[in-house]
Amino acid sequence: MLVLYPFIYGFLTSISLSLLGVSLGELFTVFLPRVRTMVVVLYVGLFAMSFDFVSGYTGYLSFGHAMFYGIGAYFVVLVGTGKIPGLPAETPFMLIIVLAGVLAFLAALAVGAVSFRLTGVYFAMVTLGFAEVAHVFIRNWSYVGSNPRDGVGVVGRDGFAVGIPGIDALQFRLGRLAGDSFENVLGTGIDLGAAEVSFYAVGAVVLVCYFAMQRIIHSPFGRVMVAIRENEERAEAVGYNTFWYKLGAFGISGFFAAIGGALFAGYRRSVAPENTFDLFVTADALLAAIIGGFGTLAGALYGHLFHEFLQGIFTTESSGLARFLRDTLSEGILSAGVGEFTVLEFINVFIDGRAELYLGVIFVAFVLFVPRGILGSLRDRLGGPLAETIPERLRRYRR
Amino acid sequence: MVLRTTDLTKRFGGVTAVDGVEFELGAECCSLIGPNGAGKTTFFNLLTGVLEPTEGTVEYRGGDGDGWTDITDHAPHETALSGIHRSYQITNIFATSTVLENVRIAAQAAGGADSFRAWRNVEAFPEYEREADHILERVGLADERETVAETLSHGEKRNLELAIALAGDPDVLLLDEPTAGVSSDGIDELTDLIDDIAADHAVLLVEHNMDVVMEVSDRIAVLNQGSLIADDDPEAIRDSQRVQDAYLGGYEPDSAAASDDADDATGGGLA
Repeated sequence: MLVLYPFIYGFLTSISLSLLGVSLGELFTVFLPRVRTMVVVLYVGLFAMSFDFVSGYTGYLSFGHAMFYGIGAYFVVLVGTGKIPGLPAETPFMLIIVLAGVLAFLAALAVGAVSFRLTGVYFAMVTLGFAEVAHVFIRNWSYVGSNPRDGVGVVGRDGFAVGIPGIDALQFRLGRLAGDSFENVLGTGIDLGAAEVSFYAVGAVVLVCYFAMQRIIHSPFGRVMVAIRENEERAEAVGYNTFWYKLGAFGISGFFAAIGGALFAGYRRSVAPENTFDLFVTADALLAAIIGGFGTLAGALYGHLFHEFLQGIFTTESSGLARFLRDTLSEGILSAGVGEFTVLEFINVFIDGRAELYLGVIFVAFVLFVPRGILGSLRDRLGGPLAETIPERLRRYRR
Repeated sequence: MVLRTTDLTKRFGGVTAVDGVEFELGAECCSLIGPNGAGKTTFFNLLTGVLEPTEGTVEYRGGDGDGWTDITDHAPHETALSGIHRSYQITNIFATSTVLENVRIAAQAAGGADSFRAWRNVEAFPEYEREADHILERVGLADERETVAETLSHGEKRNLELAIALAGDPDVLLLDEPTAGVSSDGIDELTDLIDDIAADHAVLLVEHNMDVVMEVSDRIAVLNQGSLIADDDPEAIRDSQRVQDAYLGGYEPDSAAASDDADDATGGGLA
């Protein structure tokens, strides 16, 4: 369904049918995330999955994970502005992504070598400390740009393209402005705008990364990661030097976090300390992993989809619920209410741009009542991974 | 001999938990008994590298090796890989994994570099699953192989505890109160199992249930206040006045009253 999302979205939002005087198309515009929001879901989702890879599977909360996301993002912009010696600004994006990942992998090994001497909350605090050091550093590193606190953008360079290296026909440039768009793709009559192209290009990279992480989790190495989460003392007692497994998992996680950051920078063409190295970026990943299901990998992406979905509904922009209600409801209803407190007032106070408020409440509710998260609870209910159990269920209904 | 300690001592501040213990373990089943707080679990932790001794050495001679290896400074995983496995007094398993995975992951540890293969599926290594299945068969958990470990009954968890220790083909097994909290029916089965394990492993058994100890032991060592006060065959230990005073307190095999006392001791705190 995610694969066809741009088409589903396009179709549903263009429905001109009305129900009880409300246009269905407009209703879908309010409640469905836009395609360009889905691009954000994909790359932040990848970052959240990388967070879940180490935190959900080895049990070590990496509170400094934004550092690796930031390394990936800044690396792309620095290469794009020709500031990395030896790498010209026009270096293929696919190569930059991999190099960004390798850089973050090495950084993660260095951070991990120190942090994994500790466990529990102390580990989380030390990784957080490293990330804050990096955050302060990047805010003041004038090599990045003339005003490092405000971040820096890429100018001049062509759009960052996802594709198969060496084949010019299979390069798809990312971005809302610099991105490619195609009309009448292969004569099918389908038009793809820049947002749609970015969605598929970013999605392809995220999908490859997801399968790679899945593969590692189902390997002998991945099983040791789970054993460490379940009972590290016993894992040592049966013969595992857990330090190296934790360090390896942390490095791999850093690699994929940086790819998430690199996709972000490639799509946005600009970075700032506040949307890369900041603690709140890690918090987004934590939120996504908790809501989606800790230790489920894909759940983190769905968790962030949920986050963006809420934000889309409560946004102050024209596609938000508040604007929609103000336009749709009649004057009589809007001015009804108790004294000064009218329906209009309620909409302005409790709906317009209030996503964070509800997100906080939902986060608490999830921790308390759905500790296994969306995907984890679904798997519990169906008795296994969805890819295995859903086809079986469908077969049962078909009979 | 496979395992020996020389002048093994561990002090925690002013408390001497293990005091100059000279001990040897051969290809046999030796029980280590003593009152709560005698230092039995500390002794285990010294042997397996969980704790570092204040003084003294631990040495090990493996199945194929010819000389003694000093393993005093080995970390727990190194001790395990050299062939000394342990079970725990308080059940210590991989709680939300399946029973099979609990044993499989322990078997995989002995496979060395296999565990670092991150790009192959676990199913490409069926040997560990086969070994785990053999062990589950042996401890009587074959029917529970797909059960999540934490949902097992207490008695089954104690068997799983042993199964994890058995994985990876150890030479020496250190069993820390395998019958702790097990019902009397379960104890008979566990006793048979320990007897069976002792046939092809060197076993050092910490145990409070004297019926079990008398049944399975070739030799008994008695620890009291950190010191080894006796080390002899079971009959001699039973007849020793010093052991009777320190620990057994009038124990006679098959005497109902006395074995109740021994059961009471099982419920006590950490040794």
